[in-house]
Amino acid sequence: MMSAEEILTVKGLKKYFKTTRGVVKAVDDVSFSVMKNETFGLVGESGSGKSTVGHVIMGIYGPTAGTITFMGKDISKGVGRRPKDLKKQIQIVFQDPASSLNPRRTIRQILELPLRVHHLAPDGDYDKRVLEMMDLIELPREFAERYPGEQGGGEKQAVAIGRALATGPSFVVLDEPTSALDVSIQAKIINMLMRFQKEFDLSYLFITHNLSLMRNVAQRVAIMYLGKIAELADTSEFFTNPLHPYTKMLLSAVPVITPEEEALKPEKVTSTGEITGALNVPPGCSFHPRCPFVMDMCSKMVPSLIEYKESHYVACHLYPSALNAK
Amino acid sequence: MAQQLLEVKDLYVNYRVYEGLLKVLSGVSLSVGMKEKVGIIGESGCGKTTTMKAIMRILAANAIVAGGSISYKGNDLLQLRMQELTRLRRTNMSMIFQDPTAALNPVFKVGEQLEDIVHYSEFTGNPTRREVKTKAVELLKNAALPEPERILDSYPFQLSGGMRQRVCIAMSLASARELLIADEPGTSLDVTIEDQIMRLLKQIVEERGLSVILISHSIGAVKGFVTKLYVMYAGTMVEEAPTEELFSNPLHPYTQSLLMAVPKLTGGGVPEGIAGRIPSYLTITSACRYASRCPFAKEHCNTNAPPAFDLGNGHKVACFLYGAR
Repeated sequence: MMSAEEILTVKGLKKYFKTTRGVVKAVDDVSFSVMKNETFGLVGESGSGKSTVGHVIMGIYGPTAGTITFMGKDISKGVGRRPKDLKKQIQIVFQDPASSLNPRRTIRQILELPLRVHHLAPDGDYDKRVLEMMDLIELPREFAERYPGEQGGGEKQAVAIGRALATGPSFVVLDEPTSALDVSIQAKIINMLMRFQKEFDLSYLFITHNLSLMRNVAQRVAIMYLGKIAELADTSEFFTNPLHPYTKMLLSAVPVITPEEEALKPEKVTSTGEITGALNVPPGCSFHPRCPFVMDMCSKMVPSLIEYKESHYVACHLYPSALNAK
Repeated sequence: MAQQLLEVKDLYVNYRVYEGLLKVLSGVSLSVGMKEKVGIIGESGCGKTTTMKAIMRILAANAIVAGGSISYKGNDLLQLRMQELTRLRRTNMSMIFQDPTAALNPVFKVGEQLEDIVHYSEFTGNPTRREVKTKAVELLKNAALPEPERILDSYPFQLSGGMRQRVCIAMSLASARELLIADEPGTSLDVTIEDQIMRLLKQIVEERGLSVILISHSIGAVKGFVTKLYVMYAGTMVEEAPTEELFSNPLHPYTQSLLMAVPKLTGGGVPEGIAGRIPSYLTITSACRYASRCPFAKEHCNTNAPPAFDLGNGHKVACFLYGAR
């Protein structure tokens, strides 16, 4: 079992965006912790707010409400003025390396920038550090003078990972790191990430919409729907014993290739409807218009996330708070 | 074999680019029977879409068909006069593209775009606007779109991704009486929406008795849909088999690695991917195009391209492991 030391704790996190058409509640009261050396998975469809959670943790923008505690310190305030030491500790890898890498900079320049910003070559030998980074991400050294555009998708993503790891972080937000890649390349990148996690004691917040991938990388998984966590559990429990109707719907929609996988799917909860825009979130449980088990109370009361079984949390009126009652 | 609707034989397609000649398709063959559902899987850049565009004759201007034939009910599509081709596209075959946002014109309402197609596909004379609209509404209803009247009056950006793809399906239904080509129809959509779209497509295709070519890099999405599968790699067909056979008994080293690399819902970790990458089409030689990444590659794999060896029961593999060189 893993040690229960929390590296990052998010409590009551809210992120609202004001638009001309109203307030978008992208993240609405989300709480979870990521343990040291853990891969914590965040799944959901587009518009569920999963990336926004990652961005707020990164400090790309500040939260509307709630706290983010990192290594015991509250980091939710003053995101624009985060100390360099903190920025060094928390890094991010974006989905599409074609747009997250500057096409006019060589791979050397891309990898060198974070090293220079954080003065990470005390002897001034940045060239040597860059080449070491390239060895680490398994790129031939002679690629250093090439541009990202000349590389394949997998190689570009490796550069993006190298750039994130250059500062020696302890926490990395992986925002759909392999969604833009082919499966054979995805496998290579994922294996690289898993190896680095062991090697450098990293904790990951792994964001993806791909449930099959999540099954294989995360220790715990939370599923988001319209800015809220619908269910949170250990990975094996999450996949073998899903509770929330939305989790079941997603699982039964996953395309699979083996009979064993087919057997694992919950009794077919046929997918219906679409995720509504975050501008007009339905009242009560936001999933109720698509839910096959909808009850009267679902459109009236927002279900809260309760611990239904040990370390298995669910926000659904089908599961009265058995453990919560005491 | 008399029942073939479409037969592509030994197709070669090159692209002329600034750097030289990209030799993309190299001897691609495939056949689709009447009411048959065929799938093509392969990774990005393997030539799936190029093959389909060659069939529809919508290749880019810098593409050169360097060899082969595409026979549609006995007529070679590559030789067909424009007039005849237009008639075929109006009433016999149609294509659904990956990205519905790009497939729809953003400055015209859905109604204008759909009614244009309906006008020329469904009617021969001069139909009234009302007749055309009634037919358009019916098509949208077939694509399981609620409030078709409102959708006709909307611009594409006012619809969600799933609804846009349903509109594209409705459009293609107008002209596809025989062959429907679906190029990654669910890829740009969410899982639950993709699931809905695939179910809708399957239902429509079966109701109307259409032949289908479904292209996807999502292996799972194709599996439940088609009866015959082709695997493409770097512009070549490496394997062809009935769907169940391909999954239970994949033979080509590429197919095997590809199936292995898919993360499983049952867990067990992510296996190693495939080392290396697709060779450059610019410098490609006549050898087996997978040789540089293949763990079983022998010397002659680097000098000769393997033909498709027929192993019986519709299973064909282009690999020297399964036949004499």
